[in-house]
Amino acid sequence: MDTQRLEIARLFHRTGFGPKPGEFASALSAGVGATRSKVLAPPSTVSFVTPPVLTDLGPRPAPNSSAVVEFSQQLRYQIQLLFLWWLDEMVTSPHTLQEKMTWFWHGHWATSIGKVNYALPMFNQNVTMRKYALGNFTDFSKAMFYDGALQVWLDGQENTAKAPNENFSREMMELFTLGVNRYTETDVKELARSFTGYQVSRTNGVVTYNARRRDTAPVTVLGKTAAMSPDEVITHLVSQNNSAQFIAERIWYRFVSSQEPLPKDHPMIKAFAGRDTYALMKSLIESSALSQTQYSMVKSPVEWFIGICRALTITPSKLPSPTKLVGFLEKLSQVPFSPPNVGGWPVDQAWLSSASAQYRLSFATSIIAEADLSELSAITSVRRPDYLADLLGVVGWSSRTSYAMRSVRDNPQRLLVTAVCSPEYVVSQ
Amino acid sequence: MIELPRVPGQELGMSAFTRRQFLKYSGVVAAAAAPMLTVDQIAEAAIARPLPLGTPILVVVTLYGGNDGLNTVIPYKDSAYYGARPGLTYKPETLLPLSSDLALNASMTGIKSLWDANKVAIVRGVGYPKPDRSHFSSMSIWQTGSPGAHLNTGWLGRWLDTQAIDPMTAISLGGVLPPLLVGAKQSGSALPLGGLSIPQGIIGTACQRLSVPSPSDNPLMAAAATSMRNLFNVSGTVQPILAKPAPAAEDLPTISGGNAGGDTNLSQQLNVVAKLIAAGSPTRAWSVSLGGFDTHANEANAQALLLGTVSKSITTFLSQMKASGRSKDITVLVYSEFGRRVKANGSEGTDHGTSGPVFLIGDRVTGGFYGDQPSLSKLVDGDLAVTTDFRDVYSSVLEKVLGAPPEKILSNWKGRVNALKS
Repeated sequence: MDTQRLEIARLFHRTGFGPKPGEFASALSAGVGATRSKVLAPPSTVSFVTPPVLTDLGPRPAPNSSAVVEFSQQLRYQIQLLFLWWLDEMVTSPHTLQEKMTWFWHGHWATSIGKVNYALPMFNQNVTMRKYALGNFTDFSKAMFYDGALQVWLDGQENTAKAPNENFSREMMELFTLGVNRYTETDVKELARSFTGYQVSRTNGVVTYNARRRDTAPVTVLGKTAAMSPDEVITHLVSQNNSAQFIAERIWYRFVSSQEPLPKDHPMIKAFAGRDTYALMKSLIESSALSQTQYSMVKSPVEWFIGICRALTITPSKLPSPTKLVGFLEKLSQVPFSPPNVGGWPVDQAWLSSASAQYRLSFATSIIAEADLSELSAITSVRRPDYLADLLGVVGWSSRTSYAMRSVRDNPQRLLVTAVCSPEYVVSQ
Repeated sequence: MIELPRVPGQELGMSAFTRRQFLKYSGVVAAAAAPMLTVDQIAEAAIARPLPLGTPILVVVTLYGGNDGLNTVIPYKDSAYYGARPGLTYKPETLLPLSSDLALNASMTGIKSLWDANKVAIVRGVGYPKPDRSHFSSMSIWQTGSPGAHLNTGWLGRWLDTQAIDPMTAISLGGVLPPLLVGAKQSGSALPLGGLSIPQGIIGTACQRLSVPSPSDNPLMAAAATSMRNLFNVSGTVQPILAKPAPAAEDLPTISGGNAGGDTNLSQQLNVVAKLIAAGSPTRAWSVSLGGFDTHANEANAQALLLGTVSKSITTFLSQMKASGRSKDITVLVYSEFGRRVKANGSEGTDHGTSGPVFLIGDRVTGGFYGDQPSLSKLVDGDLAVTTDFRDVYSSVLEKVLGAPPEKILSNWKGRVNALKS
């Protein structure tokens, strides 16, 4: 195994969404060190694609009213704009780590438009995730408390002094900041009380404070007793040692391996002492983890799709039918802004059903039909597999896949479909 | 609902069952013009090895989100029940009484009539030691069958590991495979509603070649190759059956209770399972699911709708099976990752709790109650006690339905629930 090629391939596919044409070959000649540094370019929060213009559509008009038709059209249109904007951003963004982290946090604070309904709050949430993607995790967690989409998603507005609702407080500890079993059931109940008093406007995600709903009595959370504001109690949660351990575990799980646990005392944990996400990622990227052969991962459907778009210079919003695009991602069970549950996306084997094999094939066929393959066509067919390995950032083709490619190498479209549906591309080796 | 043609049951699964009969039965004649594959291919694959008639079949129904057991099997004469959750109880006269102290939710009329026919076992107070109130941990515990150590395989996946390699043995409806069916040697197959089609022509040949694991593959790459191979195996058998239209999905509430996973179209999933079982699919275990049970708010109406769907879908499924001659072979297992808190939370919902009832339904079931009803006066930290370990249920299902010794699969678990006939 060529470990330099392996690590560079992983730097492209794990800490980004795959290489653009020419990038992989240049990285190979520049070496691992230079490629790591490039990935770790200083964070930026610029959007590279013009963000969608989304308006507050107000409450849904009564059924059967004349206004409801216009409303529904607008709602669908805004959701589509939002969806295509993010896919375009993933394909276009030159700051791939920033974009990949935004995607990671979307799966971490997993909120679905299925319950939120409106595009505007989901967009605002994405902007927050983008802002803090590589930023300070304490500030990020505080900002997420006041995120309208997350408040709606976890019944925050139902949580009042009179009638506490534990949904948000439990997930805040279990899934967002500490990890399961690192708190007690009493902590969940107490934290819920310190989260009371907030209401959210569903249509625009604006969160407001309502003193009448607030439980002002002291609470005891993880050993600290005080009347704490959400900011104070969240700072307390995130300052726990377990929080560094947890975020390092989650990063490991999504970027390195879901099969093998985070090694004990991994340097990421120390690097996260100041809760600086950039420092944590830097420590991971500069560690030896990505050069070790055992840490393979299956690309999620969105990662797989965006990788193809980047390699073939395809802009998702310019594909012939956005409806068809959503349809394919739906069949592969991964539509951005619609994670299946608050635990985020599944991993690895879950993406490898016979059903997904079929959908990848028909999806690939339909995308590749839109690509300009003149460069591939200009190469003699014998040399095409090697060219594709570099274009797609693949470590190497097995004898199995080389054999499969041989039967289709005279036809550039079929050859590409075969390449992107091969185990070598579906899995980040 | 699709009318199944009346085919004498004993003809199914026999070698005398001709290709023509199969096609007629599965409705593929009408779909013969579909471009994906030739009729001959389908028929060869499907008739080659149908499940012998009389082979027990397990259908697992997972209710995602934590079904409120107390509002499913209701202690309708207990004043403590009414005291704990005002606004969230039902009027006693609207309920479906099962005994002097327990009644079913009013929406579960179908399951009530199966109960009256002695085909429903209700195992009460089911859970595991040290209940975990996280959806994901608790569902993982139920699906791996391991409350102690975390395992990477599901309890049915470990059973699959004891079976011959065959992607048809266990099938889950939906595009993503639940952990339940993940084994170390082989996993179940996932089948989306809408069906699969075999890649044809030149690209089909290339895919056939891609579907062979290579010696240089790491385990995930080998699994990717295998998923392609399963596409060729599974789709040949089931495509013609799935080509038939399914009934529209019920309109289910997702606003409250919709963020803990599961699918929304149980009736459609069970409709497809019914067709596949009737056609002789060599499948011993099926997995279907319904989400939306995470009723933190406005529970009563939402849960009644969901339970109504569960009841109606299962009842329809079992009556569909009658025509196939296989209804005697089927056992349905219904469970959720936890019950809910006894006390209402004030959003007219309930937060995550502990134990709940498990249902076993079918001709092979001896109807009645099993396990003790957790007492409302002896709560454990405000929650229902666990009176039956879920491994008692799994062990009995493995032994009596799947004919497999449970010891290896459930690390020597000894308990049983005697609700299943041999």
